[in-house]
Amino acid sequence: MTTATANIGRVTQIIGSTFDAEFSMDKLPAIYNALKIETDVKGLKIKVTGEVQQHLGGGRVRCVALGSTDGMVRGMEVVDTGNPVSVPVGKGTLGRVFNVLGDAIDGRGDVAHDERWSIHRAPPKLEDLSSKTEMFETGIKVIDLLVPFVRGGKAGLFGGAGLGKTVILTELIARIAAAHGGYSVFAGVGERTREGNDLWLEMQEAEIGSTGRHVIEQTAMVFGQMNEPPGARLRVALTALTMAEWFRDATGADTLLFVDNIFRFSQAGSEVSALLGRMPSAVGYQPTLGTELGALQERITSTNRGAITSVQAVYVPADDPTDPAPATAFSHLDAFLYLERSIAEKGLFPAIDPLSSSSRILDPLVVGERHYKIARRVQQILQRYRELKDIIAILGIDELSEEDKLVVHRARRIERFLSQPFLVAEPFTGKKGKITPRDETIESFEELCDGKWDHLPEGAFTYVGGIKEAAEQAERMAKA
Amino acid sequence: MAKARAIIKRLKAVRNVRKITRTMELVATARFKKAMDRAVEAAAYTRKISEIVADLSQTLSGDGASLSHPLLQQRETEKKSILLVITSNRGLCGGYNGSVLRLAQGRIRESRANGTELSVEVSGKRGIGYFKFQKIVTAASYTHFEDKPSFEQVDELASRFIESFVRGDIDRLDVAFTQFESMSRQKAVVQTLLPIGKLQDTAATAGKANVEYEFLPSPKEILEEIVPASFKARLFKCFLDAAVSEQIARMVAMKSATENADGMIRSIRAQYNRARQSQITSELSEIIGGAAALE
Repeated sequence: MTTATANIGRVTQIIGSTFDAEFSMDKLPAIYNALKIETDVKGLKIKVTGEVQQHLGGGRVRCVALGSTDGMVRGMEVVDTGNPVSVPVGKGTLGRVFNVLGDAIDGRGDVAHDERWSIHRAPPKLEDLSSKTEMFETGIKVIDLLVPFVRGGKAGLFGGAGLGKTVILTELIARIAAAHGGYSVFAGVGERTREGNDLWLEMQEAEIGSTGRHVIEQTAMVFGQMNEPPGARLRVALTALTMAEWFRDATGADTLLFVDNIFRFSQAGSEVSALLGRMPSAVGYQPTLGTELGALQERITSTNRGAITSVQAVYVPADDPTDPAPATAFSHLDAFLYLERSIAEKGLFPAIDPLSSSSRILDPLVVGERHYKIARRVQQILQRYRELKDIIAILGIDELSEEDKLVVHRARRIERFLSQPFLVAEPFTGKKGKITPRDETIESFEELCDGKWDHLPEGAFTYVGGIKEAAEQAERMAKA
Repeated sequence: MAKARAIIKRLKAVRNVRKITRTMELVATARFKKAMDRAVEAAAYTRKISEIVADLSQTLSGDGASLSHPLLQQRETEKKSILLVITSNRGLCGGYNGSVLRLAQGRIRESRANGTELSVEVSGKRGIGYFKFQKIVTAASYTHFEDKPSFEQVDELASRFIESFVRGDIDRLDVAFTQFESMSRQKAVVQTLLPIGKLQDTAATAGKANVEYEFLPSPKEILEEIVPASFKARLFKCFLDAAVSEQIARMVAMKSATENADGMIRSIRAQYNRARQSQITSELSEIIGGAAALE
């Protein structure tokens, strides 16, 4: 970069987290090329990487800064690296923590790597895509029954502020990654740094099955949290994805990609969009919202060589799922979990709404006839209960017909039975996390729908695993 | 706009429900007045005739136990009994039917435990529906007792009960209904009407001095007349009580339902206003943002 042939330009304008640079007309850096600024200004070391977004004409290019633009001044030297941002990939990344540029930030020195891959890549070709459809068991009743995950597919956790998206995501990491032989990549996009730190520490403690190895040894983590400029948040998901792609393409292993939170990616895009001179579109989002998200999501796919199973948290601003950012994310997913405030308010976690959540594979051809029927029955009972809620609120439960009373009776039990103690919540709830196998889940709900457990009090159904535990809890309650 | 429109739809639905409950409340209030007058009038008559029967039977049994009436006799063993359940034909009356049916259910369970035969007769569509759902077979069902039961209708029923009691087909008659105590107090009860004696012990302990009666033409004929009349009056009273209680229950239930609906309307309207406002705000900011970006 500092060789004689280096392509050097100068900063001509800095607006927020974007800046313009001027190069000679015949040596313009290409779109997405990384530009580097490395200087000392009065003893203050400034090191910023920018990514070319637009050619403005007259030799000028407009870039998004991937770091803070604090201290930058016009006239600074800018070096074109000649390539897009590239990050180290390979097994050396396991157990390490990175920033958006692929630099290790865990204070354990350089990362051993043979290869660096550009973070901008083409999605896999249509012919390479895997066509297998298989269910991915999580051991969480409500997910396995009503919103089964797809192996090699994408699942989204939609929810407003404080409904437990991050908790469910960490729980899934604890459940899936711990039981999983392949590699995991975690992308922290625009969320709290503290949560990232908690997760890192937790992964160092958690063990994979009974192998004695820790989850972190099979995991690479990439963070671009809230404190970072929008450019970093915009690209950090790509950095993590690139690492995951290497595991998929080079090793063929099943790879897990966790993203918390994909909404911040859209949000970062909208933050830089106006600075890049694009006209805002609906609700103030960037006009390229769909394109940007599509470019990211289309790369998270399973190919014939290997699979990436991805779980993404999606923040829903103001609890409004019709907001363009979550609505755009929705269309890319196989399984869609919607967290509902009214359920969280009842103190039932995970607060997954059993009626708005859906999965592509809740289909008799994939999950089997029995599973499908029971899931639909559960939904019907809950749907009827929801319809009756207004009537109950106005007229009282006595006005319902006998059939409806029974539906309400069961629905209230089902509602509670959908809650489950989490492994990661053990220190807070004091209850041991429960992993419920899918067969037990199906059987439990079947018996519940058949009215076999109508006699138990409602409280017995909260925070248990299988239905037998509900019976045990009822006994304990009766004694107390 | 989709969200705001959905809220409006819900608001309209709740408003319609409120209209219904409010009307039902007013109707119940009007009917209650009439039903209550009837019940209060009947109450005095029923009380008096019960007292007389109690008095008479005491006086006569004191004379040498030679004279008694079959309806007053306690049977040694209860083999077969009838449970008459009085419910309403119409809903929207809160817990009125529920509490009667719960009690009736208890009596049915009790008789099943004792191993006695119990046939259930039910008046009112609500009760009929309930027993059908519970798969309990009812021996007879009536829907013609409205909010103004007439004595003729009850008389017919009562005569049949008397007949089968005297014949020995049944040993006991219970009635599950809602007893009207006062405006603010109604209680679901199961009362034993036959044999009459059973309740007399408690009803007649209003210990008055025994009056010496002169019987003309004969004590037997008078008993023959007055005992069935007393039973009929009491059965009639059950129906009247049930009718008043139903209206009161409906009044109370509809009043609280209307209030609940009001509360709901308020909160839905607040929701709607918020949705509308946020929509306006976002549209404004979009227009302003768009205009600013063009400059």
